[in-house]
Parts: sequence; C-alpha cells; structure tokens
Amino acid sequence: MTQIALSNLGKKFGAFTALAQMNLTIGDGEFVALLGPSGCGKSTTMNMIAGMVAPTEGDIRFDDRSILNVPMSRRGVGFVFQNYAIFTHMSVRDNLSYGLRAQGVSTPERNRRVSAMADLLQLTPMLDRQAAGLSVNILQRLAIGRSAVVEPAIFLLDEPLSNVDAAFRSVMRSELKELQRQFSQTMVYVTHDQLEAMTMADRIAVMDHGKLLQVGTPLEIYNNPQDIFVARFIGSPGMNILEGRIAQSDKGKLVDLAVIGRSAPLILSGRAAIEDLPEKILFGFRPEQVNPDPNGTLALPVNFVERIGARSILHLGADSMGVKAVLDNQITLPNIGDILRFSIDPKKVRLFDPVSGNAVGGAD
Amino acid sequence: MSEMSMEKAELALPATNDVIDEEVRLGFWLTLPAQCLVLFIAVFPILMQLYISMTDWSPLDGIPWYRAYELWIGLINYTDLASDSRFWAALWRTFVVMIVCVPIQFLLGLGLAVLFVDEFPGKRWFYSTLLVPMMVVPAVAGYMFFLLFQSGGPVNDLLSVFSSSPVRIAWLSDASLALVAVMAADIWQWTPLMFLILLAGMISVPQDQQMAAVLLGASWWRRFVTIVLPRMKTIIIIALAIRTIEIFKIFDTLYIMTGGGPGVATETISVYIYKVTQQDLIWGYVAAIALVILIVLSVVSAYAISTMSKGAKVR
Repeated sequence: MTQIALSNLGKKFGAFTALAQMNLTIGDGEFVALLGPSGCGKSTTMNMIAGMVAPTEGDIRFDDRSILNVPMSRRGVGFVFQNYAIFTHMSVRDNLSYGLRAQGVSTPERNRRVSAMADLLQLTPMLDRQAAGLSVNILQRLAIGRSAVVEPAIFLLDEPLSNVDAAFRSVMRSELKELQRQFSQTMVYVTHDQLEAMTMADRIAVMDHGKLLQVGTPLEIYNNPQDIFVARFIGSPGMNILEGRIAQSDKGKLVDLAVIGRSAPLILSGRAAIEDLPEKILFGFRPEQVNPDPNGTLALPVNFVERIGARSILHLGADSMGVKAVLDNQITLPNIGDILRFSIDPKKVRLFDPVSGNAVGGAD
Repeated sequence: MSEMSMEKAELALPATNDVIDEEVRLGFWLTLPAQCLVLFIAVFPILMQLYISMTDWSPLDGIPWYRAYELWIGLINYTDLASDSRFWAALWRTFVVMIVCVPIQFLLGLGLAVLFVDEFPGKRWFYSTLLVPMMVVPAVAGYMFFLLFQSGGPVNDLLSVFSSSPVRIAWLSDASLALVAVMAADIWQWTPLMFLILLAGMISVPQDQQMAAVLLGASWWRRFVTIVLPRMKTIIIIALAIRTIEIFKIFDTLYIMTGGGPGVATETISVYIYKVTQQDLIWGYVAAIALVILIVLSVVSAYAISTMSKGAKVR
C-alpha cells in the first residue's frame, strides 16, 4: 500500500498540452476516480503513473520517493486495461502466474499464491481453461487477479467497464467495489461515467481540458461544485445554470433572472459574502431542486416531457433560458405548453462568477 | 451471463439457420460457372500431365499430344524416376538450399522486424532501402551475383581486405562453393520479403498485452518469447510456407549464375526438369517428375494450412 503524490504534473505532446499543473495526493488505500470527458487528460495522468508515458514537467512520488526514473516494470503498479489485455493464447492459470514467473518467484510459492488468488476471485474451476472465449466478467476478474497476485503497491484501472453493456455494468461495479474492499489497496480509477465514479470512489477528481478542476467526495462534488464545468458535468441531467443579475429587495439580495422571474432572497455562506457578489452572476440549481409551487416566483413554459420511469424530466423554456426539472411521477405533471410556476430552496442555490466560472459562495 | 447468452443464441438459431441455408444455396448457384471454369483450368493440366506421364511421347514424334496413347508405356516413367539418381540428387540439393536458406532468411527477417517495430531516426529511409532486393528482377539479380562472385570480383576483393594475401576463390566453378554463392543470392533477394511479412505480424501484436507483460515485470526477452512470438504464430507459418514453396521452385537467379553447374553441382529440381525438357526432350518423363513434385508440395502445403488454422482457432 502506497500513497501517490502528483505535484505540478504536466504533459505536452508537441504544441498540445494534454495535462497541466496537476496536483493531487492519493492516500494509502484510497479509491480515487479520475472523472472527465474524452481528452481531459485522465488517461494521460494514469499512463504517467504507470510509466507508459513520461511527464514533461512535475513529479510523481510513491510514499515520498520520486519514481520518474523507475522503469515501468519495477514500479509495482497493477494496471487493468480497458479491454483487460488478457493473454488469450494462454490458460487462465498461466495468465495468473505470469507476473510471478517474470519476477522469479519459486514454483511452490507461485502455485500457492495463484491458487489463493483463484479462490478469492472464484476462478478455480476454470484455471486450466484457455483464456480466449471467457465471458467479460471472468475476464475482468482475471485481469484484476493477474495484477493483484504480484501484490502491486497501487492499482490503476483504465475504464474497465466501458466495454460492458449497461445492464451488466451495475453487477460489475459492485463486484469491483467488493474486490477493492478485499484488497484494501490504493486504487486509481479512470472513467468518463459519473455513475461509476459516484458509486465506487472515496474521492473523485474531476478533470477537463488537461486541468484538475475539483477533488472531493462524491457528495461534495455533487452538492458543491466549485466550477460551472463540474456543475454541468455531474448529475444527470447536470445543474441548470442561468444568467442573472443581483438585485436588491426589502428581504435582502436576490437574483433577477429577467423573463423567468426573481429568485427568493439569497442565503449564502462560505467564501463570498453577499455584499461581494459581482452584479452579473450565474445562477445554478439542480433539476431535482425545482419545486412546483403555485406561489413560486419563477415561471417557464413546459416544452417537452421525458418520462423515465419513476421520475420525469421536464424541459422548460429554451436555449440560454432553458431549465431542466426532474419531478416525481407522484405529482400531477403539467402539460406541454403550460406555464410551470416553481421555487428553488435558497439554500440549494449555487452561484458562479460568469468570467472565471468559479463558484462564489453558497456552501451550506 | 453465459447462461443468458446461450438462451439468446438458442432462441435466435432456428430463424437464422433458414436464412443461412438459403444464402448458401444462392451463393452456390451464382458461383457455379466460375467454379467450373477454375476447376477446368486447375484440373485439366493435371489430368493431361497424368496422361502424358504414362506415355513415351515427345513433341518430335510427329503425333499430336492427344494421340500420345499410341506410345503408352504405363508406369515405366515412374519406375525410371525411382531409380534416377540425378533426380534424387537434385531433390536432395533443393532440400539443402531450403533448410539452409529458409531459417537464415527467417532469423534475419525476424531480427530486422524487431529493429523496425520501434521508431528510430531514418527509419523510413532504411525501410525502403531494405526492400529494394525484393524488387530486383531475379534475372538481374542473377547477373549481379554472377559478377560479384567472379574470381576477380568484389566478393573476393572484400575478403582480401580481411586476409593478408589476395583471395582468388573460384566461387562459381568450384563444385563445393557454387551452391553457397547461389544460396547467398537467394538470401539477399528474399530476406526482405520475410522481413516485410514478419514486421506486419509483429506490428499487429496487441500493444496493451505487451504493456501488461512489462507492467507485470517481464523482461524484453520474456515478453518477446511469451507474448510476441506466440501471437505471431500464424503469420510465421505463412511466411515460412511461402518461402519454402518458393525455394522449392528456385530457378531463374540460379540458372543465370551457374546454369546448374559446374557439372550438376547446383542442379536443383527445377533446373533438372528444365534440362530434361529442353535438352533431352523426353516429355513423358518430365510430366512424371512434375506430378511427383506437385504431390510433395501439396502435402507440405496441406500440412502448413492445417497447422495454420489450428493456430487461428487458439486465437
């Protein structure tokens, strides 16, 4: 078990910056998910930790020891590839014992560890089968077992569930989480699927365009996004962000959202005091926070209703004044064309600076 | 998961089976004319050859080939062949060339492929240069090596540099050395093909599996032997089969360099057949030889192909 520290890590491919100024410390035994859209630098980060790619700046330390000069075969990193990279021309047993053989572990010791690992992962019945043609969940367990059997200091998983169909993904998610609990090893998990990150990770590092935007527990990231990208990216659908202006009322400052109406008076805590807010502001709230209310101060026409089972997604307004609302099916849904009056709990409102995109207070 | 997919497959089978049957039937009728033509082209010469090989016919006999039955001699050509020591010597010599050249070409090609699978400065230039021998017309290559191996030629000059006294080896007229010169020419000309095929195979070995091996602590050699080579198995068999069959037919370069001589020192099976056809004009006998060789090559190819498909199944 090892702590990983990335400091000012950066990677340029020619003129293209894949990653810049990445600072992240991953604790001993922690499960951290690197989450972001394609091309955000998450895989580059992972490949640099594994040693497949050399950084152009910054440092990577395992337990305070820089490993930049350690070749990848000596880093003690277990890597689970997106397509598992199982040696399909070998048997399951040969796959499991590959690392131990390569490291010159004696035969009795090797057999002992391989059968212990096979027991743990329920691979014993198929040890002597060819790895080609095994089902995906067995391949996944085999890939993890093949890395785990050499007892790596850290585990890196590169989108291991992206080749699996949606129905099976939840099964694999719980299986993976269970394995992580058993190994209690430091794990870094790259994914573009927020559901995977939210359900499995201790902490999530959200990345975009080669920059680390926010690190925090899944709930912190969900409740208090520090950046409009994170706000929009996390959640399904993501946070509504509307342009507004700070206005004064007799009950205190509120946000004027033009045609939509005026928000309830703001209740803010955290970094920014209400007095410091810029005049132009981005007003953010989760679709789940839309509260239909005949006395609500906000109103928008209903354009479209998506029914997704227990809940429905309402598309309100359009374009820059568009809002998505997630409503329970228990209540009567408005019809298309109706004007929906609603209110937003002022405690749940998040404000962002339109220039920098950063959150300006609002943590409760 | 496996249970689920099996159920699905069972449900889907009856419907698709009918469709597949129909497609197979349609495909059969649509390709039948072409199949017949190809069959005729392939089978007719063999049958004609079989027929001629049972006779003593030659184009100088003044009767057309289809009336060759007038000179019917049954299996005598075949019994003659069994006791023809020049034939067996030529066959043996062909095998010698094969077991010397194919492994050397394979090892050189593999070594070059290992070098060229990674990037290095000037790679494109070296790559194009390496492929040049393959593009040289074999007759031209024959003349080139004929000149190189003259007793006053560049090969001897080069050897003189390394030895104290001037070297004057008569490569092409020395019965024990002529075959060496011929094999050198073949290796020069055909190693690039081996290299090209093996490089293609090596590039197609999945990169992530190699990375996985390295991350598990494998050395370069272990990765090469346990991942790269087994994954290249099919392409290696193809490359070896191509070169083995080609060398069996070795003729043009060799004939220009030595004409099969001195004496019969470099007479391979093709050269022998050529000489019997053109000089002795006993075509019935030639047909018998050719048929025997065809059978030998077919057996070798069938074996190679069956091994190949086994390798493909493992994948």
